[in-house]
Order: sequence, then structure tokens, then C-alpha cells
Amino acid sequence: MSKTVLWWLERLLLLVVSTIVLFPIAWMFLTAFKTPIDAYSVSLVFTPTLQNFVTVFSDPWNLGSMVMNSVIVAGVTVLISVPCASLAAYAFSRFKMRGRKFLFFLVLSTQFIPAIVIVLPFFLMFRQLGLLDTRIALIIVNLAIVTPFVIWMIKGFIDAIPRDSEEAAMIDGASRLRVIKDIVMPMAAPGILTSSIFCFILTWNEFLFSLILTRRDAVTLPIGLVNFRTERGDLWELMSAAGVMITVPIFIMALLIQKHFTRGMTAGAVK
Amino acid sequence: MRDRTLQYVLLIPAFLIVLATTLYPLGFSLATAFLDWDLRKSPRPGEFVGLDNFGHAVTESGFQNSLWVTTIFVVISVVLTVVLAMALALLLRRTGGLHTFTRIILILPFAMSPALIGVSYRFMFNPEFGVLAKGAAAIFPALEGTPWLANPDLAMGILIATDVWHWTPYMTFMCLGGLASVPRETEEAARMDGASTLRIIWEIVLPQMKGVIAVAAVLKTIFALKMFDQVVTLTGGGPGSSTETLAFFIHKVGFKWFDMGYASALAWILTIIMMAISIWYVRLIITDKKMATA
Repeated sequence: MSKTVLWWLERLLLLVVSTIVLFPIAWMFLTAFKTPIDAYSVSLVFTPTLQNFVTVFSDPWNLGSMVMNSVIVAGVTVLISVPCASLAAYAFSRFKMRGRKFLFFLVLSTQFIPAIVIVLPFFLMFRQLGLLDTRIALIIVNLAIVTPFVIWMIKGFIDAIPRDSEEAAMIDGASRLRVIKDIVMPMAAPGILTSSIFCFILTWNEFLFSLILTRRDAVTLPIGLVNFRTERGDLWELMSAAGVMITVPIFIMALLIQKHFTRGMTAGAVK
Repeated sequence: MRDRTLQYVLLIPAFLIVLATTLYPLGFSLATAFLDWDLRKSPRPGEFVGLDNFGHAVTESGFQNSLWVTTIFVVISVVLTVVLAMALALLLRRTGGLHTFTRIILILPFAMSPALIGVSYRFMFNPEFGVLAKGAAAIFPALEGTPWLANPDLAMGILIATDVWHWTPYMTFMCLGGLASVPRETEEAARMDGASTLRIIWEIVLPQMKGVIAVAAVLKTIFALKMFDQVVTLTGGGPGSSTETLAFFIHKVGFKWFDMGYASALAWILTIIMMAISIWYVRLIITDKKMATA
């Protein structure tokens, strides 16, 4: 094959890939702005409307309260897990303590435990404690999934920071805690921010826990989608509008940390 | 504080979280797996039944079916994802405007909620007004009116498609990371000798990527074994029970049949399978230090 043919073939393939990636997303965004009648046709020509967004935020759907739940659950999960994970990540990165290998292996492997085996006992416990359908319950369970993952990720970022400045400061008489606070954490800040956003996305998209532990008050956005399946059938235009609400904040975050995002992903998985 | 104390103090908060949210519930569900605990009969745990719940799993058809469904799902989705990701990584290795654009948008599927992916594919494959169902019928008229999600094989195919769409980007980034550490010299030399691009990829690049591909495949297997979200929002396990994955079936036993003992036993069977694979995975990345891409 000649060089030009290959050159064009490569572009064509990339175009096909981009289309496959973007099409389902684009179709959902289009549908979100369609009237119910237009939503049931595959036409690309329609008069856009914002009515679906008005509808999903009013009775009986009340997407607003689900947005609140999602923001609070994901936010608090990040606020608890990231500081704890950062300290642990530092310890794993810098100290060769006894049992380090075992502890680290423990953390690493809890990442792979299926969520269903954790949520069954939590359902029984929360039922006993009257905590079903509360945000606290969701936060506790989400910590289980997110914390090992964040320790893993932040450790990768701290490993990449050279120890020289830390050692210099210690020779000058600074305490270890001071070194962590004034030298390591500022240098690790971009990595910690990336990990926080990662953790937020994981919690935000979490489905199984919310499906089992919430009914009405603490329902989060991904579960809200299922509500649009009614006796009248699936209300696709409203589902799409809700889908846009779930997706937009996450897409903005993912694109903001795009460079770190891919790095963080592979760091977490491979390192 | 001395470092010797501090190193453990730093670990305490995170360790407490892991202990309370993972290890304790794991123990709790293991204990439940040996009990007769049917929530419809009583809110309190029943008597100790030894290995009965596990024994039940050996003969029960619902579990057998979900094992089979999960196996098919895992094998096909892992192979497709890894092969596509490797191919895409080779394609994206070079620089160019379209390359950069594709790299950027590849983040989107991975950031998207899996439940929502299921919903959107369900919409696109609706036989009456789904855009992909209509599109397929426009190109191949014989497909007009195909009940995509009502056919067991097609439903499984679409379920796999949602998963491949979701995961290929992540695995592509992993492969790209691996490719970045492959030295270019041998390739250049082979090119000078007039070897074709395909031969260079097949005989020089891919053999060096073996480690990365193995890690990607094992990691993808672990995630595929947990498949749950799209099953709920795309197929609901149907038609019949043709897409009931293990996680979905356990959920059904626990929260439709309310048989906590049996559900816990099944959840532990899944956990043991996943732990075995995870240990293999951890050993893979420990032995192959070249893997460190970040």
C-alpha cells in the first residue's frame, strides 16, 4: 500500500472511532432538548426546547433533591477519604515499616472485592440501625470502595516527588510532620486534586449501593434515571435531560484534569 | 514524634476506614453465609446451617445460569476490549490534530455513569424509535423490526457493546503508557531494512507489549466479573434470565427473594473468584516492573 493510502486510512479510522465514542453521548444531548413527540422520531431537525429540564426539576420527579444528595454524598466521601488516604499514602511511600507489604497488599486487594458482598451486610446493619435511605449510609459504603483506590493513586504521586528537599529540611531541624505539611503536601497537591476528582466521579456514578440502600429521601442521580420508567413506558426525553444533568459536571471535571486524568488512571491501575 | 511511631499513626485513619467499611462487612457476610436467614420469614437471623447455602449453589439452576452468563460475558468483553484498545493505542501513538482530538474525547465514555450508558443504549436499540435500530434497518432492510433487546443473543451482544464502549478508552490509555516505554531503536532499524509496518508491529512491538496486555486483560477480567449496572438499566437480566450476571443474580436473591444466607454464600463465591484473580494480578505487576507507566 502506498503511503498516502495509509495516511488517509489512519484518519478515516480515527474518524470512525471518534464517531463511535461521541454518537451515544451526542444523541442523548439532542434528545434532552426534544419535545416528547420529536424524541420518538430519529429526525435531526426539530425545534429545541428546555421544557424537559423544567419538568425533571418539578413534581413528581424532583431531580433537584437528587442532585443535592449526589453532591453531598460524593463531596463528603471525598472530604473524608482523601485526607486519610493522603496520610496513609505518605507512610506507604516513605517508610519501610514492619508489615508494610502485608498492609499494602491488604489495601490493594480490597479494591477488587465485589461491591455486592459489602452491601449485603451493610443493608442488614443499616436496617437494624434505622439508617436505610440516609445519606450517611451511602457515604459510609462509598468510603469502602473509594479509600483503597485513592491511597493507591496518591501513593503513585508521592513516589514521584524527589526526597531531596524533605531530607534537607529535616537536616535543618524541621520535624517530619512539618515536612509533610509544608513540603510534601504542596508538591503533591495536583496529584491529590486529581485523585479527589477521580474519587468524586466514582462516587457520583455509583449505582449498586444507592439502588439497595435508598428508597425516597437519599436517592442519587443514577437511580433517578430508573424512575423515568413508568407504566406509560420509558420517558426518554426526560431520561435524557436527567442524563445530561448527571454527565455535564463529570465531563467538565474529567476534561479539566485531562492530562493528569489519564496519568492517574494508569498510575492507579498499573503502578 | 519519632518516625517509628509516626509511620503507624499516619496509617491509622485510613486503616480504620478500611477495617470498618470492608473487613468488618466481609466477616459479617461470611458469617451470614452459614445461616438460614430469610427476611420474609423473620427479621432475625435463623439457625446455623453449615455449608447448606454453598451446597445449594452447586445444584441451583439460577446460579448455574448466572455463572454461564458471566463466563460468556467476561470472555467476550475482555478479548474485545483488550484487542480494540491495543489497536487503538497503536493508531494513537503518532501525533496529529485528529489524534489529539480522539485522545481527549476518549475520556468521556470512561467518565460516564455505567447506569446511564445502559439507559442510552436501551434507547438507541428500541425497535420502534431507537436511532441505531432504525439506522440498521435503513442499511439492511431485513433488520426492520428486529426486537434487539428481546432476543437473548442480541441482548447479550448489546450488553457487551456497552461494556466495551465504556472500558476500551481506559485500556487504550494503559496500552499507550506501555507503548511509550518501548524503545524505538529496533523499530527504526527494521524500518531501514525495509520491513513493513504490519510486520514491525507484529514481530517487534507486540512481543514487547506482552506484559502490559496481560495486566490489562486481568484487570479487565476483574471489572467484568462485577458487571451489574448496565444489566439493570439495559436488559433487567432478560429476556428471561439470559443476561443475569453473577452480581445481578446475587442482588436478585438478596433483594427480591430476601434470602440473605444464600445471597451471602453466593457473594462469597464471587469474592473468592475475584480474589484469586486479583492475587494473580498483583503478582503480575510486582514481577513486571516495566509496567510502571506513570
